[in-house]
Amino acid sequence: MMQNKHNDGRQVLVCCGTGCLASGSKQVFEAFKSQLESVEGVEALVSTKATGCNGWCEQGPLVKILPDDITYCLVKPGDVSTIIQKTILEHEIVEKLLYRDPLSKKRIKSHHELNFYRKQKKVALRNIGEIDPASISDYMEREGYQALNKAFSMLPRDIINEVIKSGLRGRGGGGFPTGLKWMNCFEQEASRRYIICNGDEGDPGAFMDRSIMEGDPHTIIEGMLICALAVGASAGYIYVRDEYSLAVENLARAIQDARDRSLLGRNIMGRDFAFDIEIVRGGGAFVCGEETALIASIEGNVGEPRDKYYFPSEKGLWGCPTVINNVETWANIPVIIGQGAEQFASVGTENSKGTKVFSLVGKVVNTGLVEVPMGTTLREVIFEIGGGILRGRKFKAVQTGGPSGGCIPAELLDLELDFDSLAAAGSMMGSGGLIVMDERTCMVEVARYYLNFLAGESCGKCVPCREGIRHMLEILSRICEGKGRSGDLELLENLAETVQEVSLCGLGKTAPNPVLSTLRYFREEYLAHIEDHLCPAGICRDLTRFSIDPIKCTGCGLCKKSCPADCIIGESKAVHSIDSTKCIKCGSCVDSCRFDAVVINQEVGK
Amino acid sequence: MIILIDGQEVKASSGETILSAARRAGIHIPTLCYHENFAGQGQGRCRLCLVEVEYQGVKRIVTSCTYPITAQIKVRTSSLRIEQMRKNIVMLLYKQAPASSLLQSMYCEYGCQENLLQDNPGEKCILCNLCVLACEEMGSSAISLIMRGTDKKVATPYDEAAQTCLGCAACAAICPTQAIEVMERDGVRIIWNKEFKLLNCKHCGQPFATEEQINFVDSKGNYSDMLHYCQNCRQKMAARRIKDFR
Repeated sequence: MMQNKHNDGRQVLVCCGTGCLASGSKQVFEAFKSQLESVEGVEALVSTKATGCNGWCEQGPLVKILPDDITYCLVKPGDVSTIIQKTILEHEIVEKLLYRDPLSKKRIKSHHELNFYRKQKKVALRNIGEIDPASISDYMEREGYQALNKAFSMLPRDIINEVIKSGLRGRGGGGFPTGLKWMNCFEQEASRRYIICNGDEGDPGAFMDRSIMEGDPHTIIEGMLICALAVGASAGYIYVRDEYSLAVENLARAIQDARDRSLLGRNIMGRDFAFDIEIVRGGGAFVCGEETALIASIEGNVGEPRDKYYFPSEKGLWGCPTVINNVETWANIPVIIGQGAEQFASVGTENSKGTKVFSLVGKVVNTGLVEVPMGTTLREVIFEIGGGILRGRKFKAVQTGGPSGGCIPAELLDLELDFDSLAAAGSMMGSGGLIVMDERTCMVEVARYYLNFLAGESCGKCVPCREGIRHMLEILSRICEGKGRSGDLELLENLAETVQEVSLCGLGKTAPNPVLSTLRYFREEYLAHIEDHLCPAGICRDLTRFSIDPIKCTGCGLCKKSCPADCIIGESKAVHSIDSTKCIKCGSCVDSCRFDAVVINQEVGK
Repeated sequence: MIILIDGQEVKASSGETILSAARRAGIHIPTLCYHENFAGQGQGRCRLCLVEVEYQGVKRIVTSCTYPITAQIKVRTSSLRIEQMRKNIVMLLYKQAPASSLLQSMYCEYGCQENLLQDNPGEKCILCNLCVLACEEMGSSAISLIMRGTDKKVATPYDEAAQTCLGCAACAAICPTQAIEVMERDGVRIIWNKEFKLLNCKHCGQPFATEEQINFVDSKGNYSDMLHYCQNCRQKMAARRIKDFR
């Protein structure tokens, strides 16, 4: 009996977000399911759940045991029997599966003790990792659909005013005040209105919307319902990027479950209110994340944007007033209505309220999804939550806001993350990508990389975006190849201004950001490429020469081993050298050397 | 309502575009992707028609072919900045379609400076989409813009002869840069990789339309015998009827 009492209400939460699934968490989950069944008396008292993404993908598959608050990392199916025996039955901790802090070398029992989580504040991600996304009851247990119930007791205008008061701004990139958008739609004279959830997340390295759609689909449905009730819409669409099959699956199930419980369809919650949601799968064009292109795509037209002299809230889907918000924006709505605007607005900065989810990736120790209050500094996110730069290298820049964001240098690490300060620094919030770059990053190459992405993803409708980006890319490519000419930077800036000013949609208007921000903060690196024919970071092949400093070289042979071109010569324990005629400039030697003996573009003494 | 364009008072109806109001008042704004046949609706593709709009002290640059007039705005159709941007757009378009004689002359007219940016040798198309709109208007929608970014082009489905193409050549007629090739020889027209037999006018005997085009129009209404005469002869016949009318 004692045993049973202890086990009462215990939960095994297996992270089944995309990252963990890729590391084999499905098998771990199945193992728990089947093995717990075979233990007598336990299966009824322990529930096993597959949850959404916990954000700490590099330590996956993650398994959390509640209420003990134990987090096991890198769990394999073979570890499951040990966990059941030790933790579930004997209430002991399996030490070897705990996270080991690289600095203190100590094992850490719960993820809550980690800086990665401690500094975060989960609002939009509040349920993810805690609930089974396939279970509507799980969502309801955590105050799900309570906000909708509360909204029924409010006047439409009061609901909208509450959202205005919260100061919530669109999380998709534009940062337009959400409440004003709703009010504008509400005030239009129309017989039909639509609600759209923009889940066409396309920024390379960004996965916050995906995580919400996969891990907490009901919060999106509830947010949309509240808006539909406020503005008077009867139909909604969730536009999901086609590659996100798990998101589509979980959303579809959530919609069906909501219909079954009279939360969608006619007479919602027994009231005279009808609303239903349909999922539309995108065709894979980045530009369809732009709201007018997205609307064109839902209508069955070519996914091209239009000039926004009319907002979608005035003339949107099929010419009707339409509220279109990003996934993360929708996830904030139940919190604002449920807990009140004031509480929501108590977090954040003057003009950017609440929290923001960032996908922290690149050369940083802890990659993953982090949600922090607006106004948190870049330094806190990168060095405290992110744990600093990999291999103890020097921080060089952080690219924020997706491919058309800008690069922010080390001098601005204390910049507060909010819509306005990022824009002032020549970058943008975008959807919340943070790509950390270390000293082995060439900023000209970075600008070229993003322009290359944008050149392929520009819809090609308007001339400045289609042709302007192409030629900016052409100039950047030739600078990287060592064929830059004097006057190239001026030509770049001239083109950038036209593209920024005259392009039709947000993609084109922001496309020059990577170029302009790197020119602003790293101009000397461009000049080194053009005038000295050198790439200071040692990335551009035609402008790089590696050599080994004989004073620092210990002859350990690591570089020789890692060189794919076999161009490093030297006996063991003797000074090595590089045969530059065979070197392919891949940089493996730099990355492998532990003594900083491989130097870039420097003359070394004999 | 009354708006000011370059200091001149112009009458405009609410929702009308700046370009349409300006054209009516005889004020010139350059365009490439605009055609008045499409109910005054611009596309905003070429961006050449950009103007500066001032409303309540705030100035912004907009494309006049898509900007709807909803308030008493002040419009400037030209300024140093606008001209610089137009010049850049013409330069970009010239680099895209250097074989177009229209772009060649605009390149000179706008005083674009030579630079070493790459161009597309032999290309004439500026992707203005007017051909696609014309085809849609004809009722066949045989061509469309396909792909995106720098790969964008006008094409029939899979670049094959399109079933719905009537060979009417409305696309070629509306093209501002003569980019669409129409070959006519020995009573045969070749356009968009498809061959069409041309019908001869019952009166003058000259080839004037494709069989598919005549059949398509015939299916849309009762045009009796008129369909079998070329436009020239139809006009002459109509004039004769009016003359003989007593």
